[in-house]
Amino acid sequence: MDFNFTDEQQMLRDSVEKFVREHYDASKASERRKLSRKAPGYNKEYWQTFADLGWLGVPFPEEYGGIGGTLMDSMVVMEELGKGLVQEPYFPTVILFGNCLLIAGSETQKQTLIPRIVAGEILGTLAYAEEQARGNMADVATTANKQDGGWVLNGVKSLVMNADSADYFVVSARTSGKRNDSRGVTLFLVNAKAAGVTRVDYPTVDCLRASEVNFENVKVAAGDVLGEVDGGHVLLDQIVDRAVLALSAEALGMMENLYKDTASYTSQRVQFGHALSQFQTVKHRIVEMFVESELVRSLLYRATMEAQGEHADAKRDMHALKFKVGKAGRFVGQSAVQLHGGMGQTEELRIGHYFIRLAAIDAHFGDKDYHLARYTDMMTIPTGEADANMMPF
Amino acid sequence: MEIELTKEDLAFQKEVREFLLQHAPKNSNELWSKRDSWFKALKEKGWDCTKWPVEFGGSGWKPVQYFIWEKETADYSLPPEMPFGKVMLAPILMRYGNKDQIDRFLPDIRNNKTNWCQGYSEPGAGSDLAALKTRAELSADGTTYTVNGTKIWTTMAHMAQWMFCLTRTANLEKRQDGITFLLINMKTPGITVKPIHTLGGSHHVNQVFFDNVQVPANNRIGEEGKGWTYAKGLLQHERSGLAGITRTLVTLDKLKKNATTVKDGDRTLIDDRTYKTKMAEAEIELRSLEFAELRSLAEAQQTGEPGTASSILKLKGTEMQQRIQELTIEAAGVFGISQGSKVAGPKFAQMGMMMYLNGRAATVYGGCSEVQKDVIAKRVLGLVD
Repeated sequence: MDFNFTDEQQMLRDSVEKFVREHYDASKASERRKLSRKAPGYNKEYWQTFADLGWLGVPFPEEYGGIGGTLMDSMVVMEELGKGLVQEPYFPTVILFGNCLLIAGSETQKQTLIPRIVAGEILGTLAYAEEQARGNMADVATTANKQDGGWVLNGVKSLVMNADSADYFVVSARTSGKRNDSRGVTLFLVNAKAAGVTRVDYPTVDCLRASEVNFENVKVAAGDVLGEVDGGHVLLDQIVDRAVLALSAEALGMMENLYKDTASYTSQRVQFGHALSQFQTVKHRIVEMFVESELVRSLLYRATMEAQGEHADAKRDMHALKFKVGKAGRFVGQSAVQLHGGMGQTEELRIGHYFIRLAAIDAHFGDKDYHLARYTDMMTIPTGEADANMMPF
Repeated sequence: MEIELTKEDLAFQKEVREFLLQHAPKNSNELWSKRDSWFKALKEKGWDCTKWPVEFGGSGWKPVQYFIWEKETADYSLPPEMPFGKVMLAPILMRYGNKDQIDRFLPDIRNNKTNWCQGYSEPGAGSDLAALKTRAELSADGTTYTVNGTKIWTTMAHMAQWMFCLTRTANLEKRQDGITFLLINMKTPGITVKPIHTLGGSHHVNQVFFDNVQVPANNRIGEEGKGWTYAKGLLQHERSGLAGITRTLVTLDKLKKNATTVKDGDRTLIDDRTYKTKMAEAEIELRSLEFAELRSLAEAQQTGEPGTASSILKLKGTEMQQRIQELTIEAAGVFGISQGSKVAGPKFAQMGMMMYLNGRAATVYGGCSEVQKDVIAKRVLGLVD
């Protein structure tokens, strides 16, 4: 076992941390809402900087122009980007779209598209959410029917992150079976400008951009299927695991700053002749915020290392992590808002933005209840005779 | 970062498993019948006081090896040893005791021949330990201390031959000064041990009274008035051992197994979704704590100081012990209330209830949770008092 970050990981962290410090310091938080009101909702120069610094290539092998990073490397980047509340579409493009290609793509698809992601030339996103499905990735009502050697897509996808900037969508659609069957879901690579694709774009509450995307008789070539026809659910499942790790790392970065900001604010604000942090009820709540954040850190490291090593517990601990992030994120975010009093209600301070983003992260890819239920399904139950001696000590 | 055990670690794990299979008591009956041969085997293997410094017979294990040992022995449901001698006093003795004291006390601690108890808390000095008042006055010739006062919540004082004790030898402006660390023979005239019965009627703790108890001055550890400094280091040893995370995970596994035998109409309790979900939530918390402990061990090995993750182990570890105990009495249902010998219901029910009742102490002893939070606020978060 080894719990050290490598020198390269430390350098990567320093580089993202420095960018965030210079371009996304705490005082910038109040400008986020305005930026998100119209497309593209992020800074294109910054995106180019991300490309120049090599961050867009972190998860990809060197043969596709990436730096051949591990899941730990992506975790490091996401944790620091989370602290900065960055609005650039790193998550939809690099984590979601990138991993779709990496996990499901053919050699040709990878060769063609990944180097262009790394260079900052194209953006992509994953269109999966449907009104009826909640966290269930197998619940797909969007259809794809065979026609003239290709496919025709029909359906509506919700909350497609940064769809208004994307060049490509990966779309999950039903090619066989009933609505809830895991078999029969297929992933398609769809050009954002294809005929029949229409969007309604909007800002999200966490100051990002998303769209409702309507696919009406959209023609997709046979060569633009990602992975096996009907076998998309298994792939989506792996893609979602990567998404969960990345969002959890982002959440951890925010939780760390939430307890630190709260400790600092309550140490400066004086009421009744004392700093607020001197009141034990305040002090202990900050300690609890710290404790929850450290527990998330432990589970994140555990789940990431297990996923990287294809460990037997990896999937179960992924559910554990998303549950814990949801639950702890609520507590840490709400506590920060509460302990900042009136200021906590405003969007002047970054803690309010962290609070909102944590609520959004819980909602993405199955919330805490969804993942607790999955964990419960997978929990191992030892068999054998009952043990009357319950004494551990 | 790398989660897998190395080849070397796996070989060690195998060695531990084989050793346990050959020598360890296999059930609660064997705990007593095999006690001596088990201690002998541990000693011959050099695994009887693994955490001591190597020069005193410690094993010099890496943190991951301690973790493997803890996990494997927990799987065997071996009760941990009484911590007072080996875990709590020995490190102080080795660091601050003189050669004569080390020779006199350490071998019997190592060989499990003396039971020690800890004389710290007093009726007026609990969380605020520095408020202690038990007086020790040195005779004019400097040979003997006369001790007067009382200690309370003294675990196993009724079974102990010796007590390590904090006494007040001077009233100075700073209360932490003027405290002296004495080793007191429990057979000394003037000592009275009065049992205190705790929730559920158990007798583990006592109040100890000192009435002109004569203690030889050569039973003083280190210098007069410096006892607080010595004890503070010891408290850290105490706290780090109290989280019991690995053991609580093993207890949860037993509870799951037991839940498959608890009748619930036509099914068993394990099929109750609400109950199962509560177990799942507890397990998730424990799995994150287990990893926090590993991180803390690794940091301790590199820096010599347990890291920030360690500060939460006692606090959350004891909460989780209590959570599993609570789930146990919920599984026991009405049968947990009974104290009869031929009662229907799950076999773990009565013991589970006793564990639940005795278990409330875990968030109180060794620095209560509220004090732990004060400590984290000050030392880790840098918040001022």
